[in-house]
This record gives sequence, C-alpha cells and structure tokens, in this order.
Amino acid sequence: MFRRPIKEINAEFPAQERHLDSVQRVVREACIAAGMRRKQMTSVQLAIEEGVTNILRHAYLHEKGMLRVRIVIYRKLIVFSLIDTGRSFQPDATGRLDLNKLVETGRRGGLGFFMIQKIMDSVEYITSGGFNELRMTKRISAEPSGAPGLWRRMFTLRAKFSFWTFSIVCLIVVSAFWYIRTNTVNELYAHLDGTAEALANTIADQASGYVTNRRSDVEFDRLVVSYQKSNPFLRLIAITDTANMVLAHSEDIHKIRKPYVPPYPIPAGSLGQARRIDGAGEQLNYLMVPLSWGERRLGTIHLLYSTELIDSRLGQAAGRSWMLTSVLLVFGVIGIYLLSSYFVTPIVRIVQRVRRFSSGELETELPLDGAAEFLEISHAFNEMMTRVSRDRKTVIEREKMAKEIELVSQIQKTLLPRNLPQLPGLEVDAFYRAASMVSGDLYDVFPVSENRCCLAVADVSGKGVPASMVMSMLRTVIRIFADGCESPRDTLITVNDYLSNNMPPGMFITVLMAVFDASDSTLRFVSAGHNPLLHLHQGTQLVSRVNPSGMPLGMPTTLGRSFGESLQEVELRLQPGDLVLLYTDGITEATSRGGEQYGLDRLADLVLREAGRDSAERLQDVSGGIVNEIDTFSGFSKQNDDITFILARVPVEKPRSRPETTDDTAALSVEKVSDNPETQRD
Amino acid sequence: MDNIGISLSENPLNQDVSEVRVDGVVDTMTAGELDEVMSSLLKRERYNIVIDLAGVDYISSAGWGIFLSHIRDVRANGGDIKLANMVPDVYEIYELLEFDNVLQAYGSVGEAAGEFGGGDQPPAKKKRQR
Repeated sequence: MFRRPIKEINAEFPAQERHLDSVQRVVREACIAAGMRRKQMTSVQLAIEEGVTNILRHAYLHEKGMLRVRIVIYRKLIVFSLIDTGRSFQPDATGRLDLNKLVETGRRGGLGFFMIQKIMDSVEYITSGGFNELRMTKRISAEPSGAPGLWRRMFTLRAKFSFWTFSIVCLIVVSAFWYIRTNTVNELYAHLDGTAEALANTIADQASGYVTNRRSDVEFDRLVVSYQKSNPFLRLIAITDTANMVLAHSEDIHKIRKPYVPPYPIPAGSLGQARRIDGAGEQLNYLMVPLSWGERRLGTIHLLYSTELIDSRLGQAAGRSWMLTSVLLVFGVIGIYLLSSYFVTPIVRIVQRVRRFSSGELETELPLDGAAEFLEISHAFNEMMTRVSRDRKTVIEREKMAKEIELVSQIQKTLLPRNLPQLPGLEVDAFYRAASMVSGDLYDVFPVSENRCCLAVADVSGKGVPASMVMSMLRTVIRIFADGCESPRDTLITVNDYLSNNMPPGMFITVLMAVFDASDSTLRFVSAGHNPLLHLHQGTQLVSRVNPSGMPLGMPTTLGRSFGESLQEVELRLQPGDLVLLYTDGITEATSRGGEQYGLDRLADLVLREAGRDSAERLQDVSGGIVNEIDTFSGFSKQNDDITFILARVPVEKPRSRPETTDDTAALSVEKVSDNPETQRD
Repeated sequence: MDNIGISLSENPLNQDVSEVRVDGVVDTMTAGELDEVMSSLLKRERYNIVIDLAGVDYISSAGWGIFLSHIRDVRANGGDIKLANMVPDVYEIYELLEFDNVLQAYGSVGEAAGEFGGGDQPPAKKKRQR
C-alpha cells in the first residue's frame, strides 16, 4: 500500500487566541485539499480549536510562545500535529471521560480533550526534545463525488452520450416529419378545394341555363340533389338569386323561395375562396362561386363540403410514419449505445489499471491497442509507471538507509547518560537535542573518584554519521582516561594523543572538560578550543565568561605548538549558589528568523535571569527556561545545530529543609536526562 | 471576529420558562458572556431554561461546558436546561459527543418549553420547597 504522504503542510503561529482563525484557515485548506466532507471538516475544526485552546491555557499558561501546526495528508488519513514548547500537560491517561460524572461534579475540565478524542480517530500526546506534540489522526470520509463505483461512473458517461445523441436524432427526425406533414396537408387541402371549385363551376354552368330557361323548382332541386348524391363529401349545395332568395337547397326543400340562411356562421371572404368552418363534429369548408350568364350575375352557388377525407388519409399516413420513425429511433439508440462501447470500454480499462496502480500495484501495464488516442494515453501511462516504480525503489532504499541512521541515532543516545549520577556537593542538570538524527555533540557527567566528578561537553566538527562515530569514540576514551583523574589537562592530553592517531584527517573536536572536587568545592577545567564556560557568582550576581586557551582535539601538531602546550588549566572556587554552564555552540549560534544569532551576551543575561527566578530552586526549571527562551528566539526555525548543555550548581546548605515535593504539572517538557530532584538535593 | 448575541425572554405560554436565544459562535472567546447570562438566571431562581440555538453554527467545549456545569444546580432545583433548534452541524457534534445522554434536544422552542408542564404548577418551585 501507498503509505507515503500526499502533502505536508507546516505553519507557525504565535500562541495567542487571536491567531486561532489563521490556524483554522490552514486546517480548512488542508481538509479541502484532502477532499474531506464538509461535515467532517466542521468537527475537525472543533477538535483543532480545542487542541489549540488547551495549548494556550495549559502549555503556555497564556504566556507567549510559538505554536507549530503540521498537517500531513495521506490518501485516506489526515494527521494534524499541534506542537508547542510549553509545559507538557498530562492528558487523562484512560482517555475516557464520564459525562455523568462531569455533570455530577459540575466541573468542566477535560471536556476539550474529551471532544478531541471523540472527534478524532486516534490521538497521541508526545513529549520529546523539548516539544510537546498533540497528534490527531482522522480518517478522511470523502465528498460523495469522490469515488463512486467505477461501473456507475462509466455508465454515466455512456448514458450521457446515449441520451444526448438520442435527443439530437429525435429532434432532427421530428422536425423532418413535421415539415413533410405540413406540406402534405397543404397539398391535400389545395387539391380538395380545387375539386370543390371545379364542381361548383360545373353546377353554376348548368344552373345558369336553368335560370335563363326558367326551369321549375323541382328540376333545380333534382340538379342539386343528384350532384350531392354523386359526391359524398358534399354536405350542402344551395343556389340563391341576386336577392339572396333560395332557388335550390339540397338538404331542405322547404327553404326554397325563402331568404338564404347559411347553416353555420360563415367567416368573411371573397367569392371563390374556401373558408374553414367548425361544423358540428366535423371540419367543413364553405365555398361560394358566382352564378352568371355571360356578363350578367344571376346569383350564387353555395357549397359546404367535408374535409374528413383529408383527415382520415392524413391519419393513416401519420400512423405509418410514426411507426417507421419509432422503429428507426429504437434501432438508432441501440446503435448509439453499442457504438459508445467503442470508446467507453478502453476508458474503463485505463481507469481500472490506473486504480490498481494507485492502490500500490506498481507493475501494472496498459495494453497497447485501440485507437491512436488511447494508444497515446497507454504509452504515456506506462512510461509514467515505469518512472514511478523506479523512483519508488530509490525511495525504499533511501528509507532503508534512514532506518540505519535511526539505529545509529539510537545507539548514540544510549551513549549519553540517561540518568545523571548523584554527585557529592553538586547539583547537575543536562539538556540535549539533536538537530538531525545523528549528532556530533556529546555531554557526559560521571564520578571519577569518591569526591570528584567529571563534566564534559564536546562538539565534533562536521555532522552526520562520521561525526557521531567520532563522538562515540571520544566518549569512550574520555571515560577510560578520566578515571581517577585530578587534572583535566593531563587527561585531555592523553585523550588527544590517543585520538589524533585514530581520527580521520580534517576532523577535529572542541571539548570543555571540568573536574569538580567536592572536598574544597573547586572546579578545574580545560577548554580545547571550546566555547567559554559561564560562571554565575551567587554573591555578586555577575556572570563571568571563562575561556582558557587550548587547541581543538585532533588538530595536526605541525602548527608550531603542541596540543599540550596550548592547553591551559583554570581553577574556579565555587561558592554555594554558584552556577556554571557548559554548552555547545548550538545555543549561541541559534538563529532568529531575522538571521540574528543568539550570542554569548544574551546567554549570559539569560543565565542570570533564569537563575534569579523564584522557581530556580529546581535546576530543571532553570534549564527549561533556557530552552524555552532559545526556542522562542529562533521561533521554531529549523534548528541547524545540536543544542547541548550541562548546568551545575553548588547547593546552598539549608538546615534540614527538604525541597518542596515535586508536582507533576511543573515537570518540564524537555526530553531531559536528569536525576530525581529529591535525591539530588539530599 | 467572532461574535455572540444573547437575548432573554419568557415563554409566552408558561411564564416560568426562560428562553435564551443565542446567535453566532460559542467558543472560548465568547463563552463567558453566555456563562454570565446562565448564572444570572440561576441567581434569579429561574431554573426552567430553554436555549434556542437556531442562530448558532458552532459550539466549542467552552460552550458545552457551560451547559454541563450548570445542569447539576438546575436539576437539583427541579428545573432543566433544554436545547432547541440546533442546526445540523451543531447537532452532529452533540450526538457525536454523546451529550444526548445528558442534555435533551428539541426541534423547536415551543416543544422544549412544553416539556416543562403547565404554568400553574411549575415543577421548579415545587421541588425547591422540598
């Protein structure tokens, strides 16, 4: 499976409530990028707010600090980390909150964390290296449009195609049909009207003869009735004279010699023009033609005839053409549907392979067949997959290497003292944080005799695995040669003699090594090219920087002076309450966002300030304060050097007063290797 | 910035029921205001409370905490806090966090107020005299 993150987002904010909106904006964007459902997003944002509020309240106690947000998006997961450098808080170990109990007691505490746990799928709280990380993992439930069934999507594509083609074909067929039908109707009417007019004119010819010959009414009647009989589409033939008196009426003989009243209201129109009439239950046409003898107008012929014939004929034609059209359409749709397979099938195939690929099956290949366009897609895809699987192999190798480096890092950590030993006449606390997996920094605190102990910090030039290996060597050598030592100078000369033969050229080590003698409270130390030691005089409240001369370890001796000659040993007499700080350049060279280095002056002030606090009774609080300050200064910008320091203080004698009991909330959040404070003070 | 609006009224049908209409967002910044309103109600011995959340689209733990922390006192005095008109987003959280075991929710203010029973026999006073 692909477990590699799709995207990682990092952002930092000052730990203040008014920046919550900005945090939420980043979170929202990440959720959208991850394709999360809107509903899920709302609850995630709620959890984030709870997390941030917790940090502001409990980690920073509303004091200033930085809040780092890291969001890592995986294919189906999203991991939110809220990182701070404040106090670590102890989340409810059981992770369960009894709501009813909360109601009973009326307390509100823990509700926020409870909400986070309810909303998120997993919640971890990690305290390490001075950082507290609240890591919340949520399974992404995607927007519904995200990934419906493959088949369904393909069907949709096919259905859409079919639907649109079908509609277009339908439209064309129907309009063609309509056009033809209209034309036919007009033609049929013209034909019928033509027939009726010819008939009317024939009747007019005969009738004019009758009128001039003064034929009887019976003959007139016989004329119209016989015409009507022989032409079944006629409904009425009437002949009127110029005074509109009926001369003949095919339907009703009693209307003769009475004024003519048409059976239906007749729309206006000229003679010889057919008019459409809505008869009772059938469509009728009405036609009038003049009855004349030569130039003389004798009257009018009225013809009422049915167009039923046309309608029935049209109906038959329409039935036939609709049938034909429907059959054509059915075949058309089937054809379209089948035709769509021609391009839908290759797409389905490509999509299936791409899916398989995206779910981690890297050896998938697309078949090279089909139309030119699909061939091109297949080619491009295969090429991409080859490249991706090659990269993947590289990544796997790199991961393997990273794992080895992690092992080195673990081994290295075991070399640093996990628990500082109890020392006579001296309180000690140490802090160590590596910039990368492996480090070239070293610190060590160990007793060398009954009354004496050795404190050492060292910085190997260079970084990475080589530096860490040399560091391991140095640690061993110092431990061996410092046993029983009285003068750190002698010891370091021996160490150098040994190391210079065993170190790769071009590499060197700066060391600050001190031996404290509890019997007279003296600190003797040497510096092999290392940063000055800071000494806080409790009495004068001054911080002095002590920097005896000395070349780094492993430097070639051809520079004129030998290592031993360069090394100067200094002895300090420590008073109760005096404090010394041994550190590496990671502190003084900590860089702010503006590119400014922290520097020795600030560090000296910082030591004075932190040691003067009320809480300074616990040495851990002093070192915690130092770490906080450095982190705030560098504003979480990527630490590029290891930070290592040892803090040692001569305890102030207090007659039989036990130090206050430790309370957990005050425990500092740094990954600290420190002795139990209670035993230390005793 | 986030804002909150709170208005207070008596139920027209039952004078013993107080309606608290909240609008906006109830989070760390704004929860204090709601808390004050709730406390003032309790101080005036008004224990039948309906919270109308129609205009609220977000409630953080600070907000839920207010309801949870007051419900004990309210119930001890025979009253209750009932939530009404939650929007879907808020209701989802309410369900997710299992607050439905502790606080009752209703579709409308009237429905919630009706649960308190008739105005002539207010359960709040009855129990308080006990």
